[in-house]
Amino acid sequence: MRWRHPVFAGLISALTALAAATEDAGITVRDAWVRETPPGMAMTAGYMVLQNKTSRPQVLVAARSSGFETVTIHRTVAKEGMTGMEHSPQIELLPNASLPFAPGGYHLMLLNPKRTLHAGDRVEITLEFRGGLVLPVAYEVRK
Amino acid sequence: MFPDPKPLTAFAFTDHENRAFDLSRLKGKWSFLFFGYTHCPDICPTTLAILARAHESIVKSAVGAKDVQFVFISVDPNRDTASKLGQYVSYFDTSFLGVTGDNAQLGNLAGQLGAAYEVAITPGVENYPVYHTAAVFLVDPRARYHAVFAPPLDAEEIGRRFEVLRQLDGPKAT
Repeated sequence: MRWRHPVFAGLISALTALAAATEDAGITVRDAWVRETPPGMAMTAGYMVLQNKTSRPQVLVAARSSGFETVTIHRTVAKEGMTGMEHSPQIELLPNASLPFAPGGYHLMLLNPKRTLHAGDRVEITLEFRGGLVLPVAYEVRK
Repeated sequence: MFPDPKPLTAFAFTDHENRAFDLSRLKGKWSFLFFGYTHCPDICPTTLAILARAHESIVKSAVGAKDVQFVFISVDPNRDTASKLGQYVSYFDTSFLGVTGDNAQLGNLAGQLGAAYEVAITPGVENYPVYHTAAVFLVDPRARYHAVFAPPLDAEEIGRRFEVLRQLDGPKAT
């Protein structure tokens, strides 16, 4: 059968992957922003609202950016009357639900920016989800 | 707000201009105190930005902000030098003060205010974790612990509540 030809088989698997990716693209990001860095400071934070429009849970496993030395997923937590930060290795997004990254909660900790960030600038950060979906997101720098 | 404000006792810090910041610097002014550290990407800049807006609203109030100061107390003197603190607080509001002291003095004032903090200095780790209360403490012009603003903080609400507290405290000879 002609469909068994490796090229066609490859094409079909590529199309299948594309279909999966399209469903994965049901993850959207809005209101993505990064706090302007106070002078002399080598760290800042990124915020956004993640929305999982798919019917399956999605898991954010990493974030990276060429604009910073490291990007880590963090959460500000309360502990015995104090506030601190904890590394969150992965975050599950429930099906058809949104999850805010906001001051005082989840945030991307952005360490050692490669250039000084000023309000109005844009910086790209790529979000990586379990299953291989990568989502490049443009963050607006705000004061 | 406390029915019986608690007088604070002596402590010794240094401000971002390398001047002594002690109990006398709290007298004659309302002081908003916030504990934090500059290597803090989320809660500290968020709170300082809110306090800058609260300051703005107090400036615009009938009585104004001449008798008000905002003090950022770094619990991380290991990394927060005077010049770093100065640069940091001025970014949010040029009138803000940055102060710090040794661990004994930080523990002293934090203890008087019931402000918990923990600095987990780890050898070889550049970004060691720091835990601190996210509350803002209000000290009255007689250097008494007068009120506390617990998170989540809101600039307008801080401004409004402060106006009420200042009025309740009675007119001051200025």
